[in-house]
Amino acid sequence: MAQTTQPVRKMRRTLLGTIPVTSPLYQLHPATRFISLLFLGVVSMFIDLPEINIALLILILVYMRWARVDISGLRIYLPLMFTVAIFMFTVSIAFPGDDPTFHAFEFLGITLYLEPLYWTFASYWRLMAMLFGTIQYFSTNRERDTLVAVRALKVPFVVTYFLSLALRAAGMFMEDMRTIREAERARGLDESSMSLSDRAKLYAMYMIPLFTLAIRRADEISNALYARGYRPSGKVEGGGKRTDYILTKYKIRTLDIVLIVTQVIIFTVVGVLRIGFGVFAVTQSPLRQYLLTLMSG
Amino acid sequence: MEENVWALEEGEVRRPGIVHIVMLALFTGIGIVVGTFGSLAIPIGFVSAFWPGQAIQAVGSIWYGMWGGIAAFVFPLISNAMSGSAPLPVSLAYIPANFVQGMAAGWSFRQFKCHPALKTGKDWLVFTLIGILAANAFGAAWGTTVLRLFGLITPDAHSVAWAGWFLGNSVASWVLGALLLKFISPLVIRTKAFCKGYWA
Repeated sequence: MAQTTQPVRKMRRTLLGTIPVTSPLYQLHPATRFISLLFLGVVSMFIDLPEINIALLILILVYMRWARVDISGLRIYLPLMFTVAIFMFTVSIAFPGDDPTFHAFEFLGITLYLEPLYWTFASYWRLMAMLFGTIQYFSTNRERDTLVAVRALKVPFVVTYFLSLALRAAGMFMEDMRTIREAERARGLDESSMSLSDRAKLYAMYMIPLFTLAIRRADEISNALYARGYRPSGKVEGGGKRTDYILTKYKIRTLDIVLIVTQVIIFTVVGVLRIGFGVFAVTQSPLRQYLLTLMSG
Repeated sequence: MEENVWALEEGEVRRPGIVHIVMLALFTGIGIVVGTFGSLAIPIGFVSAFWPGQAIQAVGSIWYGMWGGIAAFVFPLISNAMSGSAPLPVSLAYIPANFVQGMAAGWSFRQFKCHPALKTGKDWLVFTLIGILAANAFGAAWGTTVLRLFGLITPDAHSVAWAGWFLGNSVASWVLGALLLKFISPLVIRTKAFCKGYWA
């Protein structure tokens, strides 16, 4: 019988998951992707309109799909999305404020007010858009990409070294944490059946081995750096500049420049429109205006 | 006689070096993992009613002085983003609170000559009152003000959110912080990276 073999799909491990090596995203320079973190993670701060923030959120998901990120991995954020919504709406219902101009209505015997509820609705989507704007970056980039990005943006050596080691350390400790958890599961531990307090206690138990590993690694890494003549200034002995091998592997292309400039321009325009002219305020939301018309009519 | 781990031995010279930068980075890495998994394990979101990261901030400044203080405000920027507990602008606004949450314990332990392994009643009292309660009271006040400014809570909910934040974080941080100090401090104070002063 003839056997068919599936082609091997090479994957790259990012801080939050894995992504195929063939992802079209890797056509872009890491600096372009880093700017997308600053753009998508912050721009919603100037936008209160839920219509735009929901559209941004969809755009981020489409972008991640295009980058071939396994969207099902985002399920880990579902409990958080629900609990945040429950918290925000509970607070808004329990403490709506006492503005006499609020439009009141009854629902299941509870008096609700449209304005604070709508504000919460708008804030929730703004929060989600910003969160997924940052999650997309960590789902699609490795520590090395962040390192290249900050070096390309001419950040001082000591900062880039610290940042790269911190991110790399996070990756290493996550791996250690996974090993500890898998070892526990292999011995029959079922975290899903545990209460919140038991999960918190279990969590405290992970810390001791993690710290012990960190202390050992700090000595090993600092000795290795010392042996290679590294200094916080990034200069070699005699004052010359250390060559940066990693940067030679990445080239900024015209497409990168276009994308970076576009993001910076959009960000600036949105910020100026919001701060200077009050555009994107929640009062301009078409959905809010429609709901107010419904209630007034 | 009480052991004073902060006093320099005769002829002892301590200078900040590459080991401190490495430790800062590794500590930040641990903070990222603790902050991220803490938030994902107990998914309460930005209200932060359980955030064991504060324990890391406190012990970081006790062991590594100002390096721990720097890690205290750097790692939440990344862990909040990865866990989805707070977006970047909110995390940036938390920086002063995170720095104080970290440095309160480090400053008080050096000021009152407390032992990092919590050996006496005084050590426990200083850790609990300043390292945990005062630090979290300030952190919760700053944090809830940020949430209010970002429109994530209503002004009327400010005090309730503060109480929830303060109590939840204090309990988690006290339990985890005490464990770390008690069991890992004896190891840490013998390492090169341990800081008797603020920088070395």
